[in-house]
Amino acid sequence: MTSIVSARNVSKRYGSTLAVDDVSFDIEKGRIMGLIGPNGAGKTTLLKAVLGLTDCQGTLSVLGLDPFRQRKELMQNICFIADVAVLPRWIKVAQLLDFLESIHPRFSRKRAEELLSKTKIQSSSKVRELSKGMVTQLHLSIITAIDARLLVLDEPTIGLDIIFRKEFYGNLLNDYFDEERTIIITTHQVEEIENLLTDVMFINDGRVVLDTPMEEVSGQYVELMATAENAAKARHLNPIYEKDVFGKTVMTFEDVERSQLQGLGDLRTPDVADLFVAKVKGATP
Amino acid sequence: MIMDQIALIRRELWEHRSIYLTPAIIALLMSLGTVTGQATFSAFDQAVDLAILGGSNLGENERAAAISAVMSGVSVFFVIGMWFLTIFYTLDALYAERKDRSILFWRSIPCTDFETVLSKLLTATFVIPLVTFAFVIATHIAVLAISSVWIGIQGANASHMIWSAAPLMDNWAATLVFLLAVPLWSSPFIGWFLFVSAFTKRSPLMMAVLPLLILPMLEKILLGTSAVAEAFYVRAWKMPLFQGVDPTDFFDERNNTVPEAISLFDVMDLGGFLTSGGLWIGIVVCGLFTTAAIYVRRYRDDS
Repeated sequence: MTSIVSARNVSKRYGSTLAVDDVSFDIEKGRIMGLIGPNGAGKTTLLKAVLGLTDCQGTLSVLGLDPFRQRKELMQNICFIADVAVLPRWIKVAQLLDFLESIHPRFSRKRAEELLSKTKIQSSSKVRELSKGMVTQLHLSIITAIDARLLVLDEPTIGLDIIFRKEFYGNLLNDYFDEERTIIITTHQVEEIENLLTDVMFINDGRVVLDTPMEEVSGQYVELMATAENAAKARHLNPIYEKDVFGKTVMTFEDVERSQLQGLGDLRTPDVADLFVAKVKGATP
Repeated sequence: MIMDQIALIRRELWEHRSIYLTPAIIALLMSLGTVTGQATFSAFDQAVDLAILGGSNLGENERAAAISAVMSGVSVFFVIGMWFLTIFYTLDALYAERKDRSILFWRSIPCTDFETVLSKLLTATFVIPLVTFAFVIATHIAVLAISSVWIGIQGANASHMIWSAAPLMDNWAATLVFLLAVPLWSSPFIGWFLFVSAFTKRSPLMMAVLPLLILPMLEKILLGTSAVAEAFYVRAWKMPLFQGVDPTDFFDERNNTVPEAISLFDVMDLGGFLTSGGLWIGIVVCGLFTTAAIYVRRYRDDS
């Protein structure tokens, strides 16, 4: 396996605030990593460090490059959508394609035009004349037409309606992703991307609280829905989190064999959103 | 690198359409002004006859000097326009992209902050003067062509009065030198405006101008000296391109004879300009401010 991103003891401080606190992780080629965390957890700071937009302490290598010091080389192989609203509003679609064609060695105008022909976006339109959804379509079409090895998406669908969101992720998988490419994605709408992800990383208070492949979640975590009586028994197995739902207790366990919980109630693998709450809230005293 | 700069400068022209709209509007106004001026003047028969007669009787060198003066008079308006344009362009160049957050997009393309800021500096110092120059030439031709038609209508020979004498190449070459020299001489301000544009969070015009007003006042109050004010005065009015030339000479009757063909280059001291310490100190100051602007764009983290 080849590491596309490798972080060792990465920290980033803003004044007295430690936004990223001694984080280490690897992201391999051909993976789709979901970076999940509450507001202010350090997700965006971490992504900025990966994109070379901000310097950091520790060792960070992206595609074998130092992202802050070799940003130009890095940007030839990375694309990012930081927010839906960042395309310059004054530019015409045709100008955008002209510009990228002349400045980006890996941009294919033909591919971008093919993708745009499937949308209602006119090449003579200015970005300010497009709806928010169309701007996102435009941005994704451009990104997809760049033969980049890593795509970073920071809340790419914020403010879009459900139809556009579904379409966005559908296009992302169909038009962009293959085993040579890697995607890092952050979003608050975790449930919408859950099925896309190959890996998930939770970040809270600047620290990584979970970093695991999706296929290992079911082996590692189990959720039990039990009556109060059984819950008392299960509590001996040290759940990482518990909550009451409709008079029953829902408990999340980490590294506990399912056989040990058998007979105490209904068992299931927690979804990413539930697991996130369990890991983040469970860690909070 | 060069192809990237061309692409980046082309992008500046797309974004800042005022770079060509400002001189285009001046050109249109000057041409319309010539038409209406001459149409109005036509009503005064006697004066028209005297002017035509006077013009016809001038020697060739005197006529060339008169036409060159008209052409330079036209150019002055473009220089004033270029000044305002450069101020507003440089103040907007690194501010607008942060205001609309498109900086995140521009930083996602494979270009360094150095290349991006350089393209904006080159736009201010070379592209704006060159675009302005193109419109100056077009306006000169338009004004002289309109005047030719008018002279023809008045029954005189325009080809003799204007075109045989007009020192077009001399005037245009001198205008080009002047248009390129102005931003070089003013480069400390261009650098300062780019720097303010990169760092300020609001009101770039106010943030750029206020220190220029307050600094000389503070110096006067605290130190009793006025070195800063003098430096600003020299930068504004004492361009060494015209060193040794006293503008009042032009109004001295003793010098009003035009004995031989004159070139606009006679009133310019290009060598003196290029070797003046003030020019190079200014360029160094501009370089320092521009470096600071690159640094701010690269290291600031408020997106």
